[in-house]
Amino acid sequence: MGSTEKIKIESLTYAYPFSDKNALENISFSIMPGECVGIIGRNGAGKSTLCLALTGLVPKFFKGRYSGKVLLDGEDVRQISYEKLVTKIGLVLQNPFSQITGARITVYEEVAFGLENLGIPRDEIKQRVEAVLKALDLWEKRDENPFELSGGQLQKLAIASVLVLQPEVLVLDEPTSQLDPGETKEVFEIISQMKSQGITIVLVEHKYEMLVEYVDKIIFLQEGKMIAFDEAEKIFSLPEIDEYMVGEPIYTKLCKKLNLKNSRGYYPVKFSEAVGILREARCGSDR
Amino acid sequence: MRVLGLYVERDTPVHKLAPFTKLMYAVTSTVVTFLFPSITVGILFLVLSVFLNTIARVLKHLIALLMVVSVLSISIFLIQGMFYVGNYTPLFSLLRLTFYKEGLLRAVVLVLRLFNMISAFGILMLTTRPSDLIDDLVRRGLSPNVGYVIASVLQIVPQMLSTATRIIDAQRSRGLEMNGSFHKRFKAFLALIGPLVLGSLLEARERALALEIRGFEARTKRTFLKDFSESKR
Amino acid sequence: MLRGKFTTAVLVLIPVAVGINYAGKFFAEALKLPLWLDSIGTILAAMLAGPVVGALSGAFNNIIYGLTAGPFSLVYALTSVGIGLSAGGLHRSKMFENMLRTILSGLIIALVATAISVPLNVVFWQGQTGNIWGDTLFAFLRSKGINVWIASFFDELIVDLIDKFLSVVVAFAIFRSLPKTLIYTFQRE
Repeated sequence: MGSTEKIKIESLTYAYPFSDKNALENISFSIMPGECVGIIGRNGAGKSTLCLALTGLVPKFFKGRYSGKVLLDGEDVRQISYEKLVTKIGLVLQNPFSQITGARITVYEEVAFGLENLGIPRDEIKQRVEAVLKALDLWEKRDENPFELSGGQLQKLAIASVLVLQPEVLVLDEPTSQLDPGETKEVFEIISQMKSQGITIVLVEHKYEMLVEYVDKIIFLQEGKMIAFDEAEKIFSLPEIDEYMVGEPIYTKLCKKLNLKNSRGYYPVKFSEAVGILREARCGSDR
Repeated sequence: MRVLGLYVERDTPVHKLAPFTKLMYAVTSTVVTFLFPSITVGILFLVLSVFLNTIARVLKHLIALLMVVSVLSISIFLIQGMFYVGNYTPLFSLLRLTFYKEGLLRAVVLVLRLFNMISAFGILMLTTRPSDLIDDLVRRGLSPNVGYVIASVLQIVPQMLSTATRIIDAQRSRGLEMNGSFHKRFKAFLALIGPLVLGSLLEARERALALEIRGFEARTKRTFLKDFSESKR
Repeated sequence: MLRGKFTTAVLVLIPVAVGINYAGKFFAEALKLPLWLDSIGTILAAMLAGPVVGALSGAFNNIIYGLTAGPFSLVYALTSVGIGLSAGGLHRSKMFENMLRTILSGLIIALVATAISVPLNVVFWQGQTGNIWGDTLFAFLRSKGINVWIASFFDELIVDLIDKFLSVVVAFAIFRSLPKTLIYTFQRE
């Protein structure tokens, strides 16, 4: 891991074609290699657009009015060659069903698809596919048709298909929104695994209770503008959280109501910390 | 149906033939019977195709395919028998309708042609996995884009038909009336096809994004995971 | 964004167009409508991405149908290509701007479909279409000594006129309701 930023965004402003409003306005921030950063905000705040901008799909796929820069390892994402970009950054979207190519009839071949496109030698393809399927607990399903899988398994398949390309950065746009609690936990565990492998992660999530356990920092967007970029507890203690009705981890809400802050002067966001503070408070009132 | 296609899993020499070979046979057989509309040629090829289908143990399925055009075949006999331009020699009469020899012979040639086309292509479709056929063609120079489109159509269409069924159930439970006047039913059609189109186009856009993310547009020489000499991966 | 001549979005559109064709037929059967309504996808693809893409969607539709349900439909791939080309061409010429123009376009496309199918009918099965009503009319006309081409034309017209016309109208109605950004995605650069 280098000492320079992995991702650097400078004054990014973007509007979709046929739209007068800016989807993103003057966004600037940096993410260091290996960091795990969350993105929160109301619907329409620009979270998905930001994810697309990180991968260069905005503006490449969507066109529109674009100004500012998105830099990966110092290079403008619009200048990086397509083949290099695909192995540098990966994207996982919300809907598990629309991320299957549809052109492959087994899970194994589906995962191998990206590597075939890139001309990776056959033996290496076999190695990588096996490794990633085993890591995500999909090896047993390797001969099944992707369309037979459940939503959670499909989402894991989508992640596998991207991970197999060995990206240095992984962007996930609400990957658990269509999954049940068990499947959600599985996905977060995979994210944790990737984090420990040094992959830089950017994650849009509404399930705040889980999000805060995994991220180092959070970007808070509202109507295309960046309200703040900070540690989770500082973000969720901001007045704008209530003002814009973004929501927060349920126990943070509880502590806010009971006006219980932690030693640093912020409302706790992590489960264990909240439990500790509530317990203290209860012991305090027993006296 | 999970994947579109007529493939019947068996382990016969015909199944093991290269897809391209079978395709060439089907095309040749069809073209020859069209160029030489004689009963002899027609019968020759038909016997050959049926023989191959039998070795492949898919004769039952071939017969099912032929049944599909049974009505057309019968009507060809009827219409050619009665109204062919070259009709001259009456053969027999039924219910005041006269059937002529020339027309009936012509009908035999036409129906043989039809049966031939179905039998020859039947060998291809019944004994070849669609993905193998596509792979073989792409390897021989077919554009991978075309290969992708064919391969994905075979899976996406059944998917969309499942969605179509779900839309029917959903709309019905919201009070959609599926019976009644033509006008009512046509309006129901709009209420069903509209959501289907919107949903599938939105999904298509996401799929395009997913493909881009997975290197679909790479200009490097692609690797073929399956070697055709392997029987399974 | 281009791979060869086609964008990824267009390559994904074609299978979906085929799927919409299948779905149209499926819904028509479920509602017991006396129509095929199996060209809506082809027409929509043509409106979204141009005549060539429309033509390709039509061709693939018949090829796939022919390879998976029997080679009968293969023959009419040319008709579907014609539908795609004419729908796309008409759309480019702004012939779908309003209802009146759409009605005209619907008639034109129905005639194009009929015109292409007739020679195919004649060459392959001596003028018949395989449709009971159409072929009955065909038999009747032939019994009156009417030329095979003309008889086939009316046979085909019965089968195709209302069906293609309504398909065009439905495609128009759907197209108008699609969000602009979605339409923009598929436009060929």
